[in-house]
Amino acid sequence: MVQFSPEVIDTIIKAAALLGAGFAMIAGIGPGVGQGYAAGKAVEAVARDPEARGNVITTMLLGQAVAESTGIYSLVIAIVLIFTI
Amino acid sequence: MKHIDDPVRLQKEILKKTCYLAVIPVLYSLVSGEWATLLGLLFGLLIGTLIFRLRLINIERSLQMSEGKATSFIRNRYFIEYAIYLAVLLVARKNPAVNFLATAIGLFFIKFTVIGWVIIDLIRDAFNQKLESFKR
Repeated sequence: MVQFSPEVIDTIIKAAALLGAGFAMIAGIGPGVGQGYAAGKAVEAVARDPEARGNVITTMLLGQAVAESTGIYSLVIAIVLIFTI
Repeated sequence: MKHIDDPVRLQKEILKKTCYLAVIPVLYSLVSGEWATLLGLLFGLLIGTLIFRLRLINIERSLQMSEGKATSFIRNRYFIEYAIYLAVLLVARKNPAVNFLATAIGLFFIKFTVIGWVIIDLIRDAFNQKLESFKR
């Protein structure tokens, strides 16, 4: 069985944490793309029915506020991974 | 959600509800004397509130653009907001006077309020429907 010294194990743990942080940051891209798509569709909806403008804006506001939380989760996890280990 | 047609009123209502909800952890951290938690909560709440207000302005601006422009505009604004969140969390992590997790919770408070409000509305609607069916 291969035995690693404590320094090597520490380095592997640090590398894995940084890799995990990088992977976690991928989750920050999705909400941006989704929000942009929703905004495009909102423009289309308002153009089709201008009277529904208020309804469209509020729905989009709430949707964007909630959709963003996954991005912040990933950010929190990435920062914890980077700074804790 | 009563004011679904009026975004400004809805936003004010959400911010009001967030303030009411935030009183509990703020008072708890005040009473227990955890100043770092208090500062973190206030810091997160402040930034979360400002970004929420900024979002409405951005959405109203985006509705005056063409579809493609609005898509890229909102996407770019999201990444700017993301950078602000990153800066806030990094400051909270680096500064020992501010609790990092409390800052993250402060940033999430508006989302908790929105989700909680929707869940309460759903439960109320379901309860009213049951009540109506029992009356019949």
